[in-house]
Amino acid sequence: MFRTNHRGRGFSTAVSGLLITLLACVTTLFAGSGASADTKDEKTLTIAVSQEVDSLSPFLAVRRITTAIGRLSYDFLTNYDPKTGKTIPALAESWSTSEDGLTWTYKIRDTKWTDGQPITAEDARWTFDTMMKDEAAATANGNFVENFETVSAPDPRTLVVKLKAPQATMLALDVPILPKHKWEKVTDFAKFNNDQEFPIVGSGPWIVSAYDVNNSITLTPNKDFWRGAPKFDKLVFRYIDDSDAQVEALKAGEVDFVSGLTPAQATALESADNITVNKAKGKRFQAITLNPGAKLQDGTAFGDGNKALQDPIVREALVRTIDREAIYKTAYGGFGEANGGYIPSRYADYHWQPEGDAVIGFDIAKANSLLDGAGYAKGSDGIRAKGALKLSFRFNVHGDNPQYIQAAEMMREWAKEAGIELKVEPVSEVGALLDAGTYDILTTGWSVNPDPDYILGINRCSGLPAKVGGPYLSDAYYCNPEYDKLYAAQLAELDPAKRAGIVKQMEEILYKDNVFVVWGYADQLEAFRSDTIGSMQPQPDPGGNYDSQDGYWSWWSATPAGEDSGAASGDDGGSNSGLLVGGGAVVLAALAAGLVLMRRRGGATADDRE
Amino acid sequence: MTELPPSDVVPHLDEVRDRVAAPENPTDARRDGGCLRRNTAYIGQRLLGAATSLVAVIFTSFFLFRIIPGDPVRVMTHGRPVSVEQKEALTREFGLDKPLLEQFGHYLLGVLRLDFGESFQYNRPVLSMVGDRLWPTLLLVGASLIVSAALGLWLGVQGAWRHGSTADRVNTGVALTLWSVPSFWLGLILIVVFGSGLGWFPTSGMKTPGVEGFDAVLDVAHHMVLPLVTLVAVVYAQYLLVMRSSLLDEMGSDYLTTARAKGLRDAEVKRQHAVPNALLPTTTLLFINIGFVLFGAVLVETVFSWPGLGKLFYEGLSVPDLPLVQGLFVIFSSAVILMNLVSDLIYPLIDPRVRP
Amino acid sequence: MTTSASAATPRTPRQLAWTRRRRAVAKFWGDYSQNRAGLFGLAVLALFVLAALLVPWIVGEDALSVTRPAGEPLQPPSGEFWLGTDRSGRSVLDLILWGSRVSLTVGFAATFISIALGSLIGILAGHFHGWLSGLLLRITDWFLVMPTLVLAVALAAVLGRSLSTIIIAIGVTSWPTTARLVRAQTLAVEARPYIERARALGGGHWHVMTRHVLPNVMPIVLAQTTLMVAGAILTESTVAFLGLGDPTVPSWGSTIQAARDTGAVSSGMWWYILPPGIAIALVALAFTLCGRAIEGVLNPRLRSR
Repeated sequence: MFRTNHRGRGFSTAVSGLLITLLACVTTLFAGSGASADTKDEKTLTIAVSQEVDSLSPFLAVRRITTAIGRLSYDFLTNYDPKTGKTIPALAESWSTSEDGLTWTYKIRDTKWTDGQPITAEDARWTFDTMMKDEAAATANGNFVENFETVSAPDPRTLVVKLKAPQATMLALDVPILPKHKWEKVTDFAKFNNDQEFPIVGSGPWIVSAYDVNNSITLTPNKDFWRGAPKFDKLVFRYIDDSDAQVEALKAGEVDFVSGLTPAQATALESADNITVNKAKGKRFQAITLNPGAKLQDGTAFGDGNKALQDPIVREALVRTIDREAIYKTAYGGFGEANGGYIPSRYADYHWQPEGDAVIGFDIAKANSLLDGAGYAKGSDGIRAKGALKLSFRFNVHGDNPQYIQAAEMMREWAKEAGIELKVEPVSEVGALLDAGTYDILTTGWSVNPDPDYILGINRCSGLPAKVGGPYLSDAYYCNPEYDKLYAAQLAELDPAKRAGIVKQMEEILYKDNVFVVWGYADQLEAFRSDTIGSMQPQPDPGGNYDSQDGYWSWWSATPAGEDSGAASGDDGGSNSGLLVGGGAVVLAALAAGLVLMRRRGGATADDRE
Repeated sequence: MTELPPSDVVPHLDEVRDRVAAPENPTDARRDGGCLRRNTAYIGQRLLGAATSLVAVIFTSFFLFRIIPGDPVRVMTHGRPVSVEQKEALTREFGLDKPLLEQFGHYLLGVLRLDFGESFQYNRPVLSMVGDRLWPTLLLVGASLIVSAALGLWLGVQGAWRHGSTADRVNTGVALTLWSVPSFWLGLILIVVFGSGLGWFPTSGMKTPGVEGFDAVLDVAHHMVLPLVTLVAVVYAQYLLVMRSSLLDEMGSDYLTTARAKGLRDAEVKRQHAVPNALLPTTTLLFINIGFVLFGAVLVETVFSWPGLGKLFYEGLSVPDLPLVQGLFVIFSSAVILMNLVSDLIYPLIDPRVRP
Repeated sequence: MTTSASAATPRTPRQLAWTRRRRAVAKFWGDYSQNRAGLFGLAVLALFVLAALLVPWIVGEDALSVTRPAGEPLQPPSGEFWLGTDRSGRSVLDLILWGSRVSLTVGFAATFISIALGSLIGILAGHFHGWLSGLLLRITDWFLVMPTLVLAVALAAVLGRSLSTIIIAIGVTSWPTTARLVRAQTLAVEARPYIERARALGGGHWHVMTRHVLPNVMPIVLAQTTLMVAGAILTESTVAFLGLGDPTVPSWGSTIQAARDTGAVSSGMWWYILPPGIAIALVALAFTLCGRAIEGVLNPRLRSR
């Protein structure tokens, strides 16, 4: 073999030495940069977000992140009370409606855009009018104005909207009102993303002042906001795609707030220092829908759903194999409430849940006897069938929702015990299957608003498509005339208590039909750094959430932790990271030294071998 | 080139070695006397091959993604209920109502002008989105190529030098082990250990919002450490192995024996003859790899939320955002084709064995 | 070497052939066993293959039940559960054992498709000349410039999520390497004089390809196979990571993905995320080591490496 040359060893030693020096330099520099970033006496609130910006133009923005930013930077006509969720004034100080409900008059607040120009009714008129006339401007919120006949601003403080037909959402027009003097210059709303000129002129509590594509959006407080200025000096939405990475960033102090935690993450974070976990009662329900036979409004059936599911007994038997408690205990780690009621228990006024004998609960023996009684006999493969009807169902699950998948796997095992086969097929999108009616069972979930009108409305017979591929509201091809009658009744009922009574009746009908099968409501899990955020306004209060509120309450109300000793805590961060980086340098140097030693030993071995 | 990456990020080692060591060897042409005509023919042949591949890629990019289920109009409306008129308007706007062939023709004309259309999700031209994402990817991939090539070459030389020693075995073993590790998994582990555990490095993203000036450069470097280490760890093995084995080849070859017989010292022989010659295959490997590492970065970019092209591509694919996916596919594949072409063309130029 | 003494005196050509083959295998093994890394790889593989074969008897199918799990969800390792439990309360060790079955199946099946396709196309392209060869080469080149992962992901999206989809996707995208190698080897073999002789004696295409080319190509294919299985197992985990795997099948890839979905990384549940990754790395490494060892045996010039 070759003789080892000593120069070679010298070479590797030299390289290792160089490496050490380099690392030392780099780590020192990082320590320096870390410290300088922290010494700024600014209180920054950083929120981790997992979505990228689609567009900063409120006409186009539909993602949660961008609609939230729209909410923070542009005021709406009305807002929702943080405690109760009831409508309260915002840009509209007050409002009135005509007898027939077709004319709405809003009195616009006397306040200013962030560039000092006054906000007038003309701005609101222009915003709505543009959405009515320009297809592109209607992209995001066009549904609110579809029913508008005319919009006018007879004087700077008065906005008048005339409707074609009465509209329930007139006090929930979640439309950012835009400054006409800035926006009327825009020529093509389809191409205008509102991301060229900063700060963006708005009217909300926060001003979008910088946008670093795919990285962060920075907002600064609107000191003159009529409801009061926000208390942090800066609000940063930081894009971090991965949920684990978000939690790591929270632990490292890189971000101050994360949402959408998994149960395991929430449990682990509860024992972390300086971190508060918030378990808000969920405003979403989790559910499956059983295909009752997809059909058009005129009754024409389409799709290829398993006909056995059109038998109410089969549906009941299937529902009896679902152990909701076990799903929330295992898949949701105990952070959730097993409940078959359609409207989440968070909305106590409208929530209904079955009691006593009405409960269609977990009972596999009952499921078996129901199916036996209905003539579905087990075949040689253990799957029940009656004639051509085989109880073997496709179960399409949202592939990106781990809890759904876990629950689906559990359901598959339970159903098997009752002689029902569930073929769990994760899909990236269920919409196409729903469109075509080519499914048996689908997972679904809806976020329910304080007012249940919309969520009740989707199950009306009129929610069915008029033609295949046409637009529709329905999520389950549910159609029950009795339910429709009650829907009309609750819409006309002005007494809240009586209306709630009707709503509960509707929920009971829905529950009994076993087409829209709700499992319950998972908690909304969030966590924040208690050494940055002193307090925030939850919604509802108490027990509510901070993220995705109806309104801008949480980030508007957030106060920095320990207002008096804030500077000290800032310095802490600096010296801490400096220490850690220094420690890192030491360890890296040790590693490099180890490398040198190893090389030397490697050299020695070769020498020995000669 | 390579196909099934044994490591999820990189082409197969042995693949690369085969290709690098014995492709349809262009050097033959030069050995025959290196006449100009042959060279021109050779270059022409390579160019033609690259052009054919490019055409194939453009065709594939259009038709491949159209078979993925998913309604583009639903993407554009984000699944919200829209009226029939709105749906039809969108279909018209994006030309989706036209016959497939006409759409293809339109697409083809666009591609020729480097216009890949507008993203369904973002209302922005694909090219400008690529522009936003190009630099982060180039930075990460470029740095990882340089570091892994340097590390791999150095360790490879060391390994061949003390071939058979414990250090050599350990080095090769470690390299092969790291190379067998799923890169995304390694990234996750690094995040846990060095990100949140020890707190040395940021766990995700590329910048700290609000940091400016020279600090911003350092900040990016700081953010890049973990993704870079991940990419290097799974990639450097092939440089090491190719360098090591080609150097061993060189050390066994006749001219070295002759040189030694003439009384030249081993160290000189190695430095002046063996190492430069052995560098050739590795250089070629570097070029071949660029295209693949570019795409392989998708996993690492996802784990570390690095705002690069790979991540953009995956997001587009899951939707599917056809214009975005098509554009990126063409860009990625063209990079591979281009780099192959470059390596094919420079190989005969830099191989000193065939120099007159 | 082959002329040295042997136990039996062969009579018929068949016996002769068998003796020759036996000797070749013995020599192969003799050379292979010189390679310590190769032996290590083989031992690891044997262990995993054994686990995969015996797992229904060692662990039983009950271990996979999500409704009657053995323990509480997400428990750290203990005497009862050596590697803790997963999100449903199943033993992670049991999942890894079952996963060896799935992952090895994917690895072998995908490799089989890829090798079969690659060998077929490679031999055809090498044996025949003219337009067929040209066409096949074009197709191979075309597949070569496509990023495999993109094709696999696109295919997975089209065919739906299931194990067979992943197998097919990996199989049909990874063959060009093999095709190239096999073609080169075919060209080399067919240049040898005895092929000329076989042709002269009236051997048709089929005869030449199956009797002469194929046996000579097999060793290369074997080395390629072992290397490719490693790649297929890694690709499976990658597809799972990209969210296109079948999460209801306990492969190692989907276990990592389940751990990520659960938030195991940031919750400090190392017992959930480490084992499947290590299993993948170990098996991939073992296959790679075996592949290198086989190559070393086949190509003695490489052996010293």
